[in-house]
Amino acid sequence: MPKIIHYRNKCIGCNICYESQPEYWRLSRKDGKATLIGAKLKKETYILEIPECDVEASKTTAEHCPTKVIKVSV
Amino acid sequence: MKKPELLAPVGTFESLHAAIRAGADAIYFGVEQLNMRTKSTPTITIEDIAEIAKVCQQHGIKAYLTLNTVMYDHDMQLASRIIRECKTHGIDAVIASDYAIFAMCREFGMPLHISTQANVSNIESVSFFAPMADVIVLARELTIKQVAHITSEVQRRNLKGISGDLIKIEAFVHGALCMAVSGKCYMSLHEKNASANRGACVQNCRRPYKVTDLETGNELVIDDEYIMSPKDLCTIDFMDQMIEAGIDVFKIEGRSKSAEYTYVTTKCYREAIDAVLDGSYNPEKITYWLSELEKVYNRGFWGGYFMGKKLGEWSKDPGSVATEKKVYIAKCTRYFPKIKVAEFTIESGQTNTGDTLLILGRNTGADKITLTELVVNGSKGSIAKRGDKITFPFESVLRPGDKLYKMVTSDA
Ligand code: SF4
Repeated sequence: MPKIIHYRNKCIGCNICYESQPEYWRLSRKDGKATLIGAKLKKETYILEIPECDVEASKTTAEHCPTKVIKVSV
Repeated sequence: MKKPELLAPVGTFESLHAAIRAGADAIYFGVEQLNMRTKSTPTITIEDIAEIAKVCQQHGIKAYLTLNTVMYDHDMQLASRIIRECKTHGIDAVIASDYAIFAMCREFGMPLHISTQANVSNIESVSFFAPMADVIVLARELTIKQVAHITSEVQRRNLKGISGDLIKIEAFVHGALCMAVSGKCYMSLHEKNASANRGACVQNCRRPYKVTDLETGNELVIDDEYIMSPKDLCTIDFMDQMIEAGIDVFKIEGRSKSAEYTYVTTKCYREAIDAVLDGSYNPEKITYWLSELEKVYNRGFWGGYFMGKKLGEWSKDPGSVATEKKVYIAKCTRYFPKIKVAEFTIESGQTNTGDTLLILGRNTGADKITLTELVVNGSKGSIAKRGDKITFPFESVLRPGDKLYKMVTSDA
């Protein structure tokens, strides 16, 4: 199953991921960083399995993240 | 002449201690993602505020926290937590440009400085901000005459800040300049989605560009210069005029630069300010300071907009043209405080008497020494190689783990 991986520590909360895929992202009001909805925490990174049909859009989001803290693995 | 406060940039604990050692009167730093150097600096976190405040209080210097990015709704809780933490630990002020932060500072009774990001360029803006702030950082695009007019008007109009004292005027004296008006650059955002105003600038202006004639497809390289990358601001050769202009706070740019940059720039400006005030400011000293400043990160220097020049001094290189670089050689193993001697173990390369050495450490900061005498493995010597233990006299305390670097010419 493809995955989105979020290295949350280095996120700057710029809002771009949320603008591009609101179904996967929201901005935490607590610390101002992006949260990958429903993701599991593994050693400081958040991982979420996604369906094949969302891979392209997620890759675009990852490309647009200014700090490159989003990765998509297929 | 009034004595200006010298304000040094801090991006790490090393640079904090370097600033203190070099004689800063105050330091500024950012935490988490809400400051203009988020992407380029190893981030200091909200938990570090307490330690930074304590270190500064112990050394009798002031500490200011920058909170000057564009702010969104989802940033409000974090911003308010940061301000409360500053208040609790006695940080002296918050530097901000967003109205939400102004309001929070008022709510928590936190002293406020208006950031350069707010672009204050005239006395009426100063007068508008004065009732809510203690210091106003001017836009970097003013001439020295314009600045002097502002400071004299502050006096004449008796413009007071929130604390009841005259509002203070701060200006940048050294460091990177931007092709855009302070805080108004969207180039990085347009090209890479990385907003400079969220601290994520990718510095694409620092590269060379070509102009293409769309009709013919002909490409022109303009003058071989980096036409969007201005040289760095340096005012050390007209420090006397800067002080006469009545500026209260002299700020050095460079929170994302190294501890030795903070050390060298702070030390040079410390000496220059003191020299102007005691009447010993002279051309020989200026030549010496300029040569010291050229050794650390820089894109070449010009006097910025202060001297009324049009934007026209562009850098010739993509990065720094620093004339020196550091090479790691040894680690500190002991310090003998009674006899003031430091012991290092050489881990790579070699060192000879006569070398200029740089010492860096988290709690030591940065310091430089030129070796005049050297003891190698217990006896007097002039060369030490890998594996050797060296000792030399050193006035201030060093700590085990501090690193020793040899300074060599950059193009070597
Ligand atoms: S795009 Fe990247 S940096 Fe911006 S909020 Fe999303 S994860 Fe964070």
